[in-house]
Amino acid sequence: MRLLRLSLQNFRNYVRLDEETPRGVLLLVGANAQGKTNLLEAIYYLATFASFRARHDRDLVHFDAPGWGCPAVGRIVAEFQREGELRPRRLEVRLIREPNGIGDTQCRRLRREVLVDGMKKKLTEAMGLFNAVLFLPRMTELVTAAPEGRRRYLNMVLSQVYPAYAQALTAYRQALTRRNALLKTLQEQGGDPAQLDYWDAELARWGAPLIAWRAEALAQWELLIRESHWHLTRNAETLRLSYHPSFHPLLEGSLQREAENNQVLTQVPVEQIAFAFHRALVRRREEAIARGTTTIGPHRDDFCFRNNKKALALYGSRGQMRTAVLALKMVEMQWMERRTGRKPVLLLDEILAELDAERRANLQAHIVQSEQVWLTTTDVEGFAPDFVRQSTVWRLDAGVVSPVSAGGDQS
Amino acid sequence: MSLPEPIQRAIEAFAALPGIGPKSASRLTFYLLREQSAALRDTLAEAIRGLNDVAYCQQCFNFTEAGQPLCPVCRDPHRDDGLICVVEEPLDVEAIERTGVYRGQYHVLHGALSPIEGIGPDDLKIRELLARVQAGRVHEVIIATNPSMEGDATAMYLHRLLAPLGIKVTRLARGLPVGGDLEYADQNTLRGALVERKEM
Repeated sequence: MRLLRLSLQNFRNYVRLDEETPRGVLLLVGANAQGKTNLLEAIYYLATFASFRARHDRDLVHFDAPGWGCPAVGRIVAEFQREGELRPRRLEVRLIREPNGIGDTQCRRLRREVLVDGMKKKLTEAMGLFNAVLFLPRMTELVTAAPEGRRRYLNMVLSQVYPAYAQALTAYRQALTRRNALLKTLQEQGGDPAQLDYWDAELARWGAPLIAWRAEALAQWELLIRESHWHLTRNAETLRLSYHPSFHPLLEGSLQREAENNQVLTQVPVEQIAFAFHRALVRRREEAIARGTTTIGPHRDDFCFRNNKKALALYGSRGQMRTAVLALKMVEMQWMERRTGRKPVLLLDEILAELDAERRANLQAHIVQSEQVWLTTTDVEGFAPDFVRQSTVWRLDAGVVSPVSAGGDQS
Repeated sequence: MSLPEPIQRAIEAFAALPGIGPKSASRLTFYLLREQSAALRDTLAEAIRGLNDVAYCQQCFNFTEAGQPLCPVCRDPHRDDGLICVVEEPLDVEAIERTGVYRGQYHVLHGALSPIEGIGPDDLKIRELLARVQAGRVHEVIIATNPSMEGDATAMYLHRLLAPLGIKVTRLARGLPVGGDLEYADQNTLRGALVERKEM
């Protein structure tokens, strides 16, 4: 799929932007802090309905212009063409900053509205309409940083592919917040632990499908990643991906977690996962009350990369990590296309600068097969002249876009 | 502000009500200041003072007039005292009464179990409900808490407490709104309606 038109209003440093967006490669060139990444952030928001970097969504709304009233509305509007559909679709997100009570001149409360083809929809109904794959700089952090980053990554990818994933995740988080609040109360003031019954059941009900989807996705990625990684390393190394669910329905109470479980876990029906997860939550209540928090569940999941059987985060070189993440991103593109039947839009933020010539060539060969690729760079000279000639180049300057050249052999 | 103090005080009092901001509060105050509103002012003052005399019914914990230990529903000899409908708030009683089909009694919890707000079983009228059921005569308890996470949690907790007492415990059905359109029903409602479908 590809974007035909993108409009932004009061989004980050864009007061107003309205541009037709071409097929093929689009190079966004500009100095630092001119709004290159903000554009990618806006586009990725349409795929995941979450920012990949803002702590609060209200920070996305342009809000510092003097004399601007409260409420302030940020808007992302995109027209995009999906493969096999006759007419383009239109997706609009309104981020409305409102005062949070009387006297809140900072407009701290955020309300979101999502419109599909002009009709207001629930967020979960709009999820999956538009798909994108995002390549961020410092990508080795996915390997080395805390598990939270890997979980966020899983959530952003899987919610685009499994229609009910986002809904289950929201329900799971709501139940988790309440269960943890109750555990804290029971820890501090005591009380009837039977109050946990309902929350245990809710956690199991929504957590089980999350575990099942993550297991399925990671099992499929692992099969795909061998090929893509072999290709990148010229068959020298074997990369494995293993899912480490914080609660494993087959290894209850045991610490032994083998990569092989990836495939085994996909054979377990979701009802059985729910049953086992529920039983484990009930069994570990005492521990949970003592700690005042829920100790097992998808909110503590992780996955890990192994290179030639060694944990990459511990033993890998920076180059090996980079290759592994690159392989994963290529798998993500492939997998998303297979599952949805549509090529996702690619968003690459300053990514090529981190790669050596060979990997860069390999990635470029891959991305040009997509219908639309957005690339940001501070330095257009870093690209091969042929590549630049075939691309559309936009110059970005303080939130203003000026098209420099259109793609050579495309229109 | 250069308004006389009584006016300022009235505005502040109105603004303390839920759903009323400073603008509405001023508008209400100035409406009451009109000459024609003198009678209304007295009626209001009297009505508000009257609220001090409202007490809880000692049986169902709905509101009742002072000096009356029981509310009109609990006093009514024609109502089935073996059937209790448990609700979160007094307004829920009014809603069910308006249907005109319920002939049993009520029990008002004054809230729902809410871990986030720190509301536990001891903060609700749950012990009183158990005492009522244990006193005998009750054959069915209908749990009519809201169909929210907190309402469902409360319902499940009550069910656990009541089930061992050997009485029938039921929960309001979940289904499609009258005059609604199946196509536009949200997934959860539709799922509930399917699960709780009825034989015709």
